[in-house]
Amino acid sequence: MTAAARTTAVWAALSAITVVSWFLAPARHAEPVVASTPITVGVLVLALIKSRLIIQEFMEVRTAPLWLKLATEGWLVVLFGAIVVSYVW
Amino acid sequence: MTVAQAGTASAWTQKPNIDQWIAWWTIPVFYNIFGLIFVVLTRVMPPPRPDITQTQIVQFFVDHSLTIRIGFALLMFFIGFASVANGLIAQQMKRMSISPVFAYAYIGALVVGGLPGCLIPAFAFVAAALRPDRDPQIMVMLYDWCLLSFVGSLGCFCTQNMVLALAIFLDRNDVLPKWLAYMSIWMIVTELLASPVFVFRSGPLAWNGSISFYLGTVVFVVWEFCMIRLLYTAIKKQSPSEQIQD
Amino acid sequence: MTTTSATSAPSATRHLPATKDLWVFVLGDFVIFGSYFVIFMVSRRQERDLFIESQRHLSLNIGVVNTLVLLASSWFVARAVQLTRDGEFDRARKLTVGGGLCGLVFIVIKAYEWSAKIAQGHTFPSNNFFMYYYMLTGVHLFHVAIGLVFLGVSYVELRNRRRIAPVETGATYWHMVDLLWVVIFALLYVMR
Repeated sequence: MTAAARTTAVWAALSAITVVSWFLAPARHAEPVVASTPITVGVLVLALIKSRLIIQEFMEVRTAPLWLKLATEGWLVVLFGAIVVSYVW
Repeated sequence: MTVAQAGTASAWTQKPNIDQWIAWWTIPVFYNIFGLIFVVLTRVMPPPRPDITQTQIVQFFVDHSLTIRIGFALLMFFIGFASVANGLIAQQMKRMSISPVFAYAYIGALVVGGLPGCLIPAFAFVAAALRPDRDPQIMVMLYDWCLLSFVGSLGCFCTQNMVLALAIFLDRNDVLPKWLAYMSIWMIVTELLASPVFVFRSGPLAWNGSISFYLGTVVFVVWEFCMIRLLYTAIKKQSPSEQIQD
Repeated sequence: MTTTSATSAPSATRHLPATKDLWVFVLGDFVIFGSYFVIFMVSRRQERDLFIESQRHLSLNIGVVNTLVLLASSWFVARAVQLTRDGEFDRARKLTVGGGLCGLVFIVIKAYEWSAKIAQGHTFPSNNFFMYYYMLTGVHLFHVAIGLVFLGVSYVELRNRRRIAPVETGATYWHMVDLLWVVIFALLYVMR
């Protein structure tokens, strides 16, 4: 696919994932909102996917030198790892 | 043993850019003394907590009365070294291809920030330490005054970092590297996040908070190390016969 | 496997978009914001119920809309870079404006959201959740404002000098701002 089509496809995927979180977010009904580990982990996984897509595609790290790939992947792992650990611990 | 002839200057004074090297040396000296004063003697860094009781605050001044006064007496002499450092940086900014407006603004911004950043806290603590048997309410006020000023005034330095960043971005002479300009933007962010200390008495946005104080301090230390190193390189590369704009 | 059009970034060779200086900035900002996020999570652990209860007062709709707006702005900006590489400076300029306008829309929506929350009595010192809410969205908003300056520089470059590096710089920075919002959105609005 052309670069333009690829960019548009990435944008569409990101937007679709965002809309999915509309359904995962806390309900706005009268019932009490409960913490939910599966939903939160799901939300964080989706956020990780979106972040990585932005980095690899929009920020063009996919075709960037190795040091940059390692730095950004490393940051994603450390950050989301820390977030998940602090949530489930 | 040969005796130097009358009228001949010593070799070291002839070293290229010796004037700037002398100025440069005031920077590491200043920061080491700064650490001695603020960390060891006066206990302002890391800051004692905002959320302790009146009794504990009074006790703090009783415990540290002498070292606070000695430490800040030292500050009176050494604080001026910061002005030398800023003169040096301003001079380097004048080597850039932009108007000296930026250099002047840099100096001005640091004068504005230095007062609440260093001197006002010093006097508040010294006044409290001088007579620890004062009305406890007054002791609490002096405690608050020092620490709110010390941490909360960081926003005053935003202008310093803004003009530095802008100057570096616009400079075509590459006196200082662009990445320092970007680091200065981090400084602006962490300085902005020091203002909430006026709102919170505990937590990460209090004057002893992980975000308002500690993260900001880490960013500052890194920035300062880089600045010291970059000034060293800049002076080394600078030709003594270079013409600098007025 | 990638196939790109002949004049877009070559896929066989490694290409560093923008400059190393900018990447120092982006990576450092990632670390700094990462610290904020971790500190937020640690605080959240200590007051889980308060955070979940307070989160209900945020408008998910506004959060989603803002996210979609920023994602669209990133599309505009990414396409602008590609068009610049293809030499289509006028179209690139227009798309840059599109990205910037999305950024402005984001700011306006955020301002509206904040005033709505304040009117409902949820202010900066209300509780720890709202402290983080205003702090994270506030620092992010500052970054959006800086981003608009970067895009402004891109716009001027595309009109006059037409060099690609400043356009890539602005775009890379803008994507960083988008990414940070994605994480903020997940942490503040969605996760429980």
